[in-house]
Amino acid sequence: MTSLSATPRSKRRPAAGWLHSPLASQIKAPVLCIGLTMALWQFLVQFNSEGFPGPIQVISQTWDPYIIHPFFDDGGTSKGLGLQLLISLQRVAVGYILAAVVGIGAGLAIGLNRFLRRGFDPLIQVLRTVPPLAWLPISLLLFQQADTAAIFVIFITAIWPIIINTAVGINEIPQDYTNVARVLRLRKRSYLRDILMPATAPYVFTGLRIAIGLAWLAIVAAEMLKADGGIGFFIWDAYNAGGDSSTSQIILAIGVIGLVGLGLDRLVGAVGNVVAKGGK
Amino acid sequence: MANTFLTVDDITRSFALPNGGQYVALKDIDLEIAEGEFISLIGHSGCGKSTLLNLMAGLDQANTGGILIDGRQVTDPGPDRMVVFQNYSLLPWQTVRQNIALAVNNVMRDASEAERRERIDNSIRMVGLAHATNKLPGELSGGMKQRVAIARALAIRPKLLLLDEPFGALDALTRGNLQQQLMEICQQSGVTTVMVTHSVDEALLLSDRVVCLTNGPAAGIGQILKVNLPRPRQRLEVMEHPDYYRLRSELINFLQQQRRLKQHRQTLSANLAAFEAAEPTPTAPTTAMAQRKLRIGYLPGLDVAPLAVGMERGFFRERDIQVIPVVFHRWQQMEEQLRAGDLDVAITSASAPLALALGLNGQPAWPAITPMTVTRSGNAICLARRLRDLGIQSLEDLATLKGREWPLRLAIGQKGSMQELLLRHWLASGGIDPDRDVEFQTLSPLAIQAALLAGEIDGFIAGRYRVAKSVEAGLAFVLATDLDIWSGHPEKVLTCHEGWAASHESLLLEFCGGLIRAGQICEDGGQHEGLVGLLSRPQWLGNDSALALQRQFDLGNGQASGRRLPLNRYHSDRAHVANSAEGAWILTQFSRWGWSPFPSNRLELLGQVYRNDLCNAALEQVGLPALRPERQPLPMACGLPFDQDDPIGYLAQLPFSHTTTQAVVPLPSGDAQRTHADH
Repeated sequence: MTSLSATPRSKRRPAAGWLHSPLASQIKAPVLCIGLTMALWQFLVQFNSEGFPGPIQVISQTWDPYIIHPFFDDGGTSKGLGLQLLISLQRVAVGYILAAVVGIGAGLAIGLNRFLRRGFDPLIQVLRTVPPLAWLPISLLLFQQADTAAIFVIFITAIWPIIINTAVGINEIPQDYTNVARVLRLRKRSYLRDILMPATAPYVFTGLRIAIGLAWLAIVAAEMLKADGGIGFFIWDAYNAGGDSSTSQIILAIGVIGLVGLGLDRLVGAVGNVVAKGGK
Repeated sequence: MANTFLTVDDITRSFALPNGGQYVALKDIDLEIAEGEFISLIGHSGCGKSTLLNLMAGLDQANTGGILIDGRQVTDPGPDRMVVFQNYSLLPWQTVRQNIALAVNNVMRDASEAERRERIDNSIRMVGLAHATNKLPGELSGGMKQRVAIARALAIRPKLLLLDEPFGALDALTRGNLQQQLMEICQQSGVTTVMVTHSVDEALLLSDRVVCLTNGPAAGIGQILKVNLPRPRQRLEVMEHPDYYRLRSELINFLQQQRRLKQHRQTLSANLAAFEAAEPTPTAPTTAMAQRKLRIGYLPGLDVAPLAVGMERGFFRERDIQVIPVVFHRWQQMEEQLRAGDLDVAITSASAPLALALGLNGQPAWPAITPMTVTRSGNAICLARRLRDLGIQSLEDLATLKGREWPLRLAIGQKGSMQELLLRHWLASGGIDPDRDVEFQTLSPLAIQAALLAGEIDGFIAGRYRVAKSVEAGLAFVLATDLDIWSGHPEKVLTCHEGWAASHESLLLEFCGGLIRAGQICEDGGQHEGLVGLLSRPQWLGNDSALALQRQFDLGNGQASGRRLPLNRYHSDRAHVANSAEGAWILTQFSRWGWSPFPSNRLELLGQVYRNDLCNAALEQVGLPALRPERQPLPMACGLPFDQDDPIGYLAQLPFSHTTTQAVVPLPSGDAQRTHADH
């Protein structure tokens, strides 16, 4: 049966060969589905009297300067999307790196010390569920300055998954490896370098990956409330301006935020795969 | 053992359970391992093999007892005891070389760089992995990983190599090759090795001795098998060796018996649960009262002293046990009533539980168990006065009577009793064939004196009390005592039905506890007067017994009374142990005299009959430390010690042994629901 049906199919294949190339077969489905969604969107806005833009308007209204000149700078807060993104990314970088350093350190301490683990676990479980924006007022009170406050919000949002995963990673070091270390009487340094760190790395990177997503969520929200510049500010600014193309600017910014968030997630994932190779 | 390298001394390891209880994984493990020896630990899963290995490695600590290596106690893990773990335990982020280097660099800190590198290269070459030095473990097959693990272990030249099911996860072909390699490596390096394994063939191929562990909980050493196959061994050649299949079937037998024993215990407790569910106890207070009644059968003798003392002191009453003693004058009669369920327990000869369980003398097999030994020793062999006048003073003299006073007519209390076994063993050790040269007469102990007087018998074996009376009456003299046969042999034991014991366990344990406390008193020299007074009451031995008991009489052989009749042992020196090794000796004698084939499933039989767990539970109830049988060979006066691990070899060396056949004996099943609880 299979041989019968296989013959005609293989005959037809050369006719549209490019359609069966690996790349084409991979993007075929997303291109089709996203295209249909856009078409539906465009179709639906026809009935909207308020002038909500369809995808075509979004692109045409933001084409100049936002899409083709991402790095224009008219002084003040009037900047291109690229520059706004850079400002946001800078804040994220500072807050996230701080969170990673402190979080891994705290995770190590909690993972290695049963007393600390028992003592801090309830606190961590409570604080990790606090939404990022709830930290903003207290952070403003503490630092008095919008920029530092935003960085602190990122830090405090991103740190919990890093602490938790690092601690879990240490707990989950297989008994076999610890036994090897005990039998060989490994020195503390060698234990850290040869067993603890490689065995925990995959868990740490899982934490870091969750953390980068949260950090990116937090920055947009924080900037919308209180900041000069940044992609969140850009959205809020466009909204307040209330011009013809405001809605299109907002939609464009949302798309950019999504793409950058995805990029960050993939980046941390890729670094993790390289660093923690063979750990699991 | 020439050169003890490792001593496992009385190890017990238990783990706390989440519900607050304790799970005893290993109990009372004793083992000595010589330098360079290869030992396998075998047993069913969950029997604590790996726990024992971890204890040797120092990765785990015993609750009691300790492990000595080269005279030093193991307190923590160290590289002199390298472990090859079940799942290789290679670090997946390090290459083959790095994995081995980690061990070598850590252990050989003082060695030069070049020296270490050479050691690493050598060990990689030794296991034939030179082509894979820079591969990660993830890129290797299971067999290769295990080779790396072995290379890592041997690279640091441990004194002891511990292998935890090293080849368990490998396919048959790889397994075979690796076994051969491991054997060669171990032989070359001469390292002492302990390996945990499931595989009988693997154990036989590699080991000098195979240590068989019994089922958990409270696993112990069931048997130690010496593998005397010549070295160097080759897989295929080994299998052609004439001894191979004997050893193999012995091991498989052991494992099967352990499995059946486990199933047997499970059925028993399932039956019991069904039995209890069927009989709602709280509604009927009369049933509860009836359950506290205990009918015990006995024959008058010094052996019943603990029972008498226990009753007199109220040890049973204070526990709300109403003990109803039933006196018998013939052993046969008592056993019949025990079988019929008219008695709950009986003080029987030490050989009776096995004789009942095997169904000796044409009787149907009956699931007897013994929870404790009541007395030890206390027997003597007496001859009629007439023979002393002929100049008989020793066993050798007795043998010279051949042709004159022949056959000897000797009285025993019961066919197949411990006394008969001792008498036969003693006669045979002096060159007298009990089956040809002796005519045994089964007499009630009470009838012995009359038979002596009438000249119907030439001698007898009996307990101290009967002997004392006959010597006192000038009818007999003592030719031999326990000391000349087997000092400290079990004489009387408590015997009951397995199902009854299971359904009345707390009653039985409390009763045993009372007997144990009474045994303590019986052996207390200060209580002697009181004891004699108590025993001379009519319900025990009677008025005229006081005279015989009170006098420190001589042996009636005219010699100065330097050697006195040894007394029964009621308590001291671990008297209460229900020792299955002693049961094994009894089995050899049954088979030696052709009464039954030697049971090839003896461990299963002994495990079912000898319930030292009950003895220990009873001891614990009365606040005494648990007792355990030792694994040392039993010393016999004839000079041939009995090793419970090699009963067949023992039998082969005994004089006058019948050709022994081995057979699997069917075991009686202990049905908890027998018609018993209703008297």
